[in-house]
Amino acid sequence: MFDRVWVVFCKEVIDNMRDRRSVSLALLYPFLGPLVVAALIVFVGKSITSAPNATFILPVQGEANAPELIEYITTKGALVVPAPKDPALAVRTGKFDTALIISDDYGEKFDRERQATVHLVVDGSRLSAVIAMSRALDALRDYNRDIGTARLEARGLDPNLSVPLAIEQINVSGGRNLTGFFLNMMPPFLIFTIFVGGVYLAIDTTSGERERGSMEPLLTNPVARWELMVAKVAATFVFTAMAVAVQLVAFKVMFNLITGGDFGLRVDLGFWLFASVFLICLPLMLFAVTLQVIIATVTRSFKETQTYLGLLPLVPSLPGLVLVFVAINAHPWMMAIPTFGQTLLIGQMVRGEPLTGLSIVVASGFTLAASLGLLALAARLYARDELVFTG
Amino acid sequence: MIEVNDLRKSFKAVHALRGVSFTAFDGEVTGLIGPNGAGKTTTLRILYTVLTPDGGSAAVDGFDVRANAREVQRRIGVLADARGLYPRLTSREHIRYFGRLHGLKGAELERRIDRLIDMLDMGAIADRPAHGFSKGQSMKVALARALVHHPPNLLLDEPTAGLDVASARATRALIRRIRDEGRCVLFTSHIMQEVGALCDKLVVIGDGLVRANGTPDELRRSTGKADLEEAFMSATGTGEK
Repeated sequence: MFDRVWVVFCKEVIDNMRDRRSVSLALLYPFLGPLVVAALIVFVGKSITSAPNATFILPVQGEANAPELIEYITTKGALVVPAPKDPALAVRTGKFDTALIISDDYGEKFDRERQATVHLVVDGSRLSAVIAMSRALDALRDYNRDIGTARLEARGLDPNLSVPLAIEQINVSGGRNLTGFFLNMMPPFLIFTIFVGGVYLAIDTTSGERERGSMEPLLTNPVARWELMVAKVAATFVFTAMAVAVQLVAFKVMFNLITGGDFGLRVDLGFWLFASVFLICLPLMLFAVTLQVIIATVTRSFKETQTYLGLLPLVPSLPGLVLVFVAINAHPWMMAIPTFGQTLLIGQMVRGEPLTGLSIVVASGFTLAASLGLLALAARLYARDELVFTG
Repeated sequence: MIEVNDLRKSFKAVHALRGVSFTAFDGEVTGLIGPNGAGKTTTLRILYTVLTPDGGSAAVDGFDVRANAREVQRRIGVLADARGLYPRLTSREHIRYFGRLHGLKGAELERRIDRLIDMLDMGAIADRPAHGFSKGQSMKVALARALVHHPPNLLLDEPTAGLDVASARATRALIRRIRDEGRCVLFTSHIMQEVGALCDKLVVIGDGLVRANGTPDELRRSTGKADLEEAFMSATGTGEK
């Protein structure tokens, strides 16, 4: 049996390796994910995680009303520029990240130690404006506190009276800050690659074989049909694994390069982490490949197969995309869902969270069991007359 | 030897075979003839194990096509209705692939491949990828891979269809040669001249049933037509009544 499976497997691998264009495209595809994440880190990450002492531009309207305040916030890194005519419009259109409006009665109220009003124009929907906004807010709060302290002390009162709470933040994101956000993008990209990496081979070796008229002669050889199916699954599996490996290496290289640069990103993902992620992906690769072969078997034509298999990767990737933005409490039963379990596991691994053995066993075991079930189904489908003669 | 007994096969509402019976003996060329859609290809497909019959039985050298498919496959060489090649594999690799699937390997396999390339005069295309092969060249590759394991039974679906005169002649010569080696050849054809010149026995199929069975002379005699084509038309009921 192994002899025959091996013969068919070797033929499929050699045949596919000669399809230079498909193979190189399939190995370029996995770079897309790391490139997208790298671009996000460079363009978005930089503006979010810029150094605390860098200057930021702050347009101010009514600058003359509060020279002391302006002087103060300048020492806090604000580069004060004259505000445009309509500060709100300028911020809404993205010309400026934020803007400060000092009311005309500021000087009078401030001098009489009444509450003076300043307006900070912000756009909460723009991620890249967050830094300038919070820096401006911090500077204003500091000024508020300093002046308040001075006024209370002048009256012989303890300044802490007006500050009942001392708020200290404890950051628990493993010292990685926003890095976790980008690391969360790895699982959906990996899942996508698992379902796309070898798909062209699944199509070519079943739908293609049928359409090309080589399936019928092949079936006249003394080889069980399930043996042919297993060989085709194995060949597709190998190329899927190659695509996933390429993507993991690309992620590793990308994170290394970015960490070296000045992007406020600290990642320490070692070789073994990537190796473990690869191992966690193996059962899911079998699942994906078998699913692809089944679809290629039941569809009537090459074209139909391509349509279905082109949409397939989106479905398992979606939960991962959602998890980039929403954290969930992973229960062990969730691990039993093929693709979702792996999405959670890979997410936990790259974020540096501890893994439980139970999660790994449940995720791998259930996915493997589901794959074997699919293999049995594929074997039954391969045995039908319809394998060659579609209705 | 190939024995077919009361073979039945339906595709949804279409009764392709309604009880076909015949025997093809070793050392003979048996021609399976009939109009389009008569059931010739379906019969061959059941014999070369890509279709399962609904009823009746078919056996090759005593092995049933359903119960003993592997044994049947070891004893047949097939030129199927679909004879697609792999565009990126060379002629030699096509033959080697099928040889290895039959358990052949090493020097013995390479010797057989060389002999087939020589016999079918395919030296010029032996190491070229099949992409862009002419119909005749593709046919040679398909024939060579069907013969590599030296099968005692040959099932050929329209082996000369679409070939030029020289290639068709060469194919007919090959069929005779295989017959003379004592092997069983069952083939389908549309060309009555070819059938008359090549076949020891004829099985005329029409509408999923065997309409006539015997030597070409017997067929001429039973239908009362001197010309084989006329006899064929008469036997299948497609001629003037």
